[in-house]
Amino acid sequence: MKLVRRWRALRHRRIQSALAIAAIATAVVLPVVLLSVGGGVAQHEIHALEHSGYQVTVSAPGLHGVQAAHPLASRIDAIPNVASASPVLSAALDSFPGRGGSSPVLAEGVIPAAFSATEGPEELGLFPRPLPFSDPGDLRFFANGTYQGPPVLEAMVSSPFADAYGVKVGDLLTLAPSANATLGQRFTVVGLFGTPASALGPIAAFAVLLPLSELQQMTGVGAGTPGSSIDGADTIQVALAGAASTDAGAIRSVAQSIAQIVPYYGVGALTDQAAQLRASAAVLTGFYLALSSVGLVVGLVFLALVLLRRVESERRVIGVQRALGVPRRQIAAAWLRSSAVLGGSGALGGVVGGIVLVAALARWGQGAVAVAAGLAVFDPITLGELVLGVLALGSLTSLLATRAALRLPIAEALR
Amino acid sequence: MTSSPPRLELLGVSRTYAPGRPEEVRALNRIDLSIGAGSFVSVEGPSGCGKTTLLNLLGLLDVPTVGEVRWDGRPLPNRRESERAALRLERVGFIFQRFYLVPTMTARENVELPLRAARRPAAERCERADELLREVGLTERRDAFPHELSGGEEQRVAIARSMANRPGLLLADEPTGELDSTNTESILDLLTRAHRDRHLTVVLVTHNPKVAARAQRHLTMRDGRIVGDATDPIGA
Repeated sequence: MKLVRRWRALRHRRIQSALAIAAIATAVVLPVVLLSVGGGVAQHEIHALEHSGYQVTVSAPGLHGVQAAHPLASRIDAIPNVASASPVLSAALDSFPGRGGSSPVLAEGVIPAAFSATEGPEELGLFPRPLPFSDPGDLRFFANGTYQGPPVLEAMVSSPFADAYGVKVGDLLTLAPSANATLGQRFTVVGLFGTPASALGPIAAFAVLLPLSELQQMTGVGAGTPGSSIDGADTIQVALAGAASTDAGAIRSVAQSIAQIVPYYGVGALTDQAAQLRASAAVLTGFYLALSSVGLVVGLVFLALVLLRRVESERRVIGVQRALGVPRRQIAAAWLRSSAVLGGSGALGGVVGGIVLVAALARWGQGAVAVAAGLAVFDPITLGELVLGVLALGSLTSLLATRAALRLPIAEALR
Repeated sequence: MTSSPPRLELLGVSRTYAPGRPEEVRALNRIDLSIGAGSFVSVEGPSGCGKTTLLNLLGLLDVPTVGEVRWDGRPLPNRRESERAALRLERVGFIFQRFYLVPTMTARENVELPLRAARRPAAERCERADELLREVGLTERRDAFPHELSGGEEQRVAIARSMANRPGLLLADEPTGELDSTNTESILDLLTRAHRDRHLTVVLVTHNPKVAARAQRHLTMRDGRIVGDATDPIGA
């Protein structure tokens, strides 16, 4: 019965009520979108870090800064608890798929066996295991620390690339460090791999995977003078074995052991990076809330104005209630309820609106926006706290209306 | 049970609005008045003579600038609105010219309003509201909203509301001012019956001599003063 009366009271001033609810809802949509999308992206990235196939990364400043990558990976392999160390080199190449013209591709140079050993759960579905290279250890061309062996000239290509250019396993694909095909080499396509979704769109949709040494040679980071090659890589991904891979202490211990070998390189444990990302996400959440508070304040000021306007327009009803002797606390409670109904409806509307907006972005948005929206996470606790916060602030705004109602001179209100 | 009708006294009461300012208005000017318990008094006079201000002071809606209002010989609290509100709730019923029903409430809910304020149990509220609506002949209209009622019906709901907490004092400010002659008679009959059956003190402000004729005692005001005070030899 009380609810029916509340609803009738709202309906009585339906335009004011609708505007107040709309103002609050609009103000709530922003934090819902920011928190759900921002939180979802952060969670996705943290999850990706925590579920990588490797737990430690070694990197060095500068382009392809890790030098002597092959022997360094071997030394890291020898550290207790290390399952595999996988040097990775990334470079942009030009491909000539055979229909005339060229297409840029992201090339990843890896030691196939080591790369497989450092694949995470998400990559397992993307790459065949083992990788179908005929030289899994990248030892044939990079023989005895030189680039004198017979080149393998095998490559894997990403499915989007293969689909776009009709490339099949067994085809020959020319890859070159520049748009000049005569500088390139012809690689046999030995397999395809998928590309992972990411908050920033599909990573390297057009990509190829090569033996590390052949990419080094092609891009010039392996072509030093004989005997003093730089054997460059961007990073070395280190996977720990068994239980050690989930033991933060063991991970730090391995990282320290690597740092002793290459004290001038950056050695990072992914658990620490995940912790840093989590801390950054928390800071970002605070920033989102601070940003959203501006909109919320505007919405609540509007609510306060609507309530004050309502006091003015209902001065006779208030005057009658006070003339009849309705206690102040009952009048205050009525205004508090009005504020709660308007604020609560607005907050719930905002939550629903935010969820719908995020779903729409995920469905019809473009590129990275759609991917980020697709990763959104709607945490019921966070959304509940948001609604409660609006209700609490709304009740504060009702104090203004209550004060105005209780200070209304009865005789004047009844004139 | 109906609260006992109070004996009302005004001792040297003045009410000045905006005192000390250029727009100062003295609505009541040193009024001395005594109204016996259970009497039916009309207050007549031209617009702006202070009738409503007098009613507001008697009903504790306002406080005098100077002087004292007493109920049963006891001075009333001038300062604390909460005390005055509690007294109004328990002992005073108000009827206004424009009815002032709450538009979002049905007739029954309007009658229940003072009972709800007094925190009466729901069953008692329902029973009492139905009883009062029956007395004013609106049983069939109890679920109607004010905008669905005629002026006469609205005022009858307002009378039922004023009786809800069984007050001892009923204050009516131009209760028939917006009604036609048929409804006026009907409303006056209800007020007269309430005074007779419930032994209420009734103070009725009106412009209309025919309405005032229902009272036993007739006060006439002009310029904030009582200039006439006559009592019927037989009474209404």
